[in-house]
Amino acid sequence: MLEGFNFRIIWEYMPFFLEGLRNTFLISIVSIFLALIVGTIACACRLSRWKLLRGVSIVYIESIRSTPLLVQIYFFYFGLPTLGFRVPELQTGILALMLNSGAYIAEIVRAGITSVSTGQIEAGISSGLSYFQRMRFIVLPQALGVTVPPLLGQSIVLVKDSALLSLISVLELTRCGQVMTSERFMPSEAFFTVAFFYLCIFFCLKTLADWSQKKLIFREAY
Amino acid sequence: MMAFYFQRLLESFPFFLKGLWMTVAISALGLTFATILGFILGMMRASNKKLLTWPIGAYVFVVRGTPFVVQIFIIFFILPEWGIQLDAFPAAVLALTILGTAFICEIVAGGIKAVDKGQWEAGTASGLSVFQQLRFVIVPQAMQTILPPLVGQYVLLIKDSSVVSVIGVVELTRVGWMTVVRVPEGLMVFSLVGILYFAISYPLIRVSNSLERRMAVQEVRL
Amino acid sequence: MIKFEDVNKWFGKLHVLKDINLQVEAGEVVVICGPSGSGKSTLIRCINRLEKFQKGKLIVDKTPLHDYGINLTKLRADIGFVFQQFHLYPHMTALQNVTLAPINVRKINKKDADRLGRKTLSRVGLADKVDSHPAQLSGGQQQRVAIARGLAMSPKIMLFDEPTSALDPEMIGEVLDVMVQLAKEGITMCVVTHEMGFARQVAHRVIFMDEGQLVETGKPDQFFDNPQTQRAAQFISKILTH
Repeated sequence: MLEGFNFRIIWEYMPFFLEGLRNTFLISIVSIFLALIVGTIACACRLSRWKLLRGVSIVYIESIRSTPLLVQIYFFYFGLPTLGFRVPELQTGILALMLNSGAYIAEIVRAGITSVSTGQIEAGISSGLSYFQRMRFIVLPQALGVTVPPLLGQSIVLVKDSALLSLISVLELTRCGQVMTSERFMPSEAFFTVAFFYLCIFFCLKTLADWSQKKLIFREAY
Repeated sequence: MMAFYFQRLLESFPFFLKGLWMTVAISALGLTFATILGFILGMMRASNKKLLTWPIGAYVFVVRGTPFVVQIFIIFFILPEWGIQLDAFPAAVLALTILGTAFICEIVAGGIKAVDKGQWEAGTASGLSVFQQLRFVIVPQAMQTILPPLVGQYVLLIKDSSVVSVIGVVELTRVGWMTVVRVPEGLMVFSLVGILYFAISYPLIRVSNSLERRMAVQEVRL
Repeated sequence: MIKFEDVNKWFGKLHVLKDINLQVEAGEVVVICGPSGSGKSTLIRCINRLEKFQKGKLIVDKTPLHDYGINLTKLRADIGFVFQQFHLYPHMTALQNVTLAPINVRKINKKDADRLGRKTLSRVGLADKVDSHPAQLSGGQQQRVAIARGLAMSPKIMLFDEPTSALDPEMIGEVLDVMVQLAKEGITMCVVTHEMGFARQVAHRVIFMDEGQLVETGKPDQFFDNPQTQRAAQFISKILTH
């Protein structure tokens, strides 16, 4: 199986792959960061007292969760020009990733906040703590343990999702594989290398996620 | 101008329905195979025999660690190099099956491991074989834990089926991609695609939510 | 029927069974007591191979458990085990709980198994609960179903691992009554328990374990009224003050 495997070609393309890898990193980090902001805002709206904010956030979250990311990417890629916006592919891709992960992060944060038992909050109210004090000292520290592991999970998903940006010609890791395949007709070398790089990223992130799972869970002792 | 395009879009509607049908077909086949294989592998994964758990663990690691689009490229472009020539449709079903089996395997293994150890001991003490215990005692109880994430996984796989459009399968996303060439209203076209995906995923999401709620109620009663 | 010869077991570095030498004859009722962590549960769990041991010999009903290639299914089919936490199958009715093993291990057909199951359940006083699920039964009733589950296999030995420790006080009696009845019918029984009344009533021997060792054995009256060793005396005084 591996007799014909041409390692020299891979070495030749290595700078190219590394550039793709670097772009994947940058895209993922920027997107996750933006998604965190979007997700937190969406979650705040979701939990707010005003029906309008709640409604808008619910529509946003449910539409994202019921439709494929690729469709969302194409929606912006083909749709933004018709509105007169000339957005480069990279930014379009990041926009789609940001909105997609933002919806999932909104739900993760919401689950984290609601996981803190009402008994705790009532204890805080009874002690005279204000809303912000309760948030700061009681809710958020405990919500953290429930929130961080799934957030890391969503980061892993986002790194894999970034591969779809190759379909709108963004030069990230998967696109490098496609380009090498079309230039050299060596799909094995190209895509096994690409897969290997993704597995390395996955391994690092997964180890981090598993570690955080163990370290950050606080449970009310009965 | 927009009205003109809107009319063109309406005329293409049957094409969209054909794409939707293709999505349903690929998803149904892939999910069925993935469920069967996922349960078999999941039961093996839940055992303590390293000979079983390590290869399955490696398979799950690779599938979860690489983007689906890369897996599709590997199946479609690399298998022919080893003599396996697949058409786009079978390749798509195969890819979706491989993806789904890995995730379902983890869900099933998790459900089986969540069953109280005492149930295994009671079965062992009566002289039941491992297979008899799985069949009569363990898996029926594990289904409680398995069903909600399983249905959730089905929704994810239906959305992932959109990625098979890259190898030319004329499913719903591909129809959108092909239509937007003639009807350059990206927003309209992909909103329609999104609505159609929503139509098939939303019922499943509702089922998954109600399953989760029912499971939570049962836990409280215990 | 059961013979322990210099049996030793370690959990990692922890020496949980130390040079156990014990013989139980057919038809004997043996009560094993001792402080928690003394190894009593581990001891009886070795008898049906729920636990393995590293050193020594154990022969149960002529089957040497220290050998390889023994037929575990046959061994376990002839031994009934009652757990402290009952471990009834929650998704099955009482009758289904009782008949699962007879149908699938002894290969009895369903009609005969159902008849056997009903008979066994009335033997433990639960003829009217055959179609109830465990969640609908009290703790005492659940434990009696668990006993019936063991009895339905017509075992040669019945093992009980603290059968009443997880029960509310008012339900202990109904379970002990069933166990007394079984003892009088002549079944070989090993019971890990603190229930002295039960021991005095039907046990042929009481065995006291502490820190993995068999410290003292004797007839119930002799043991409770006149313990020979200091550790046994300490233990008895502690459970008496309840």
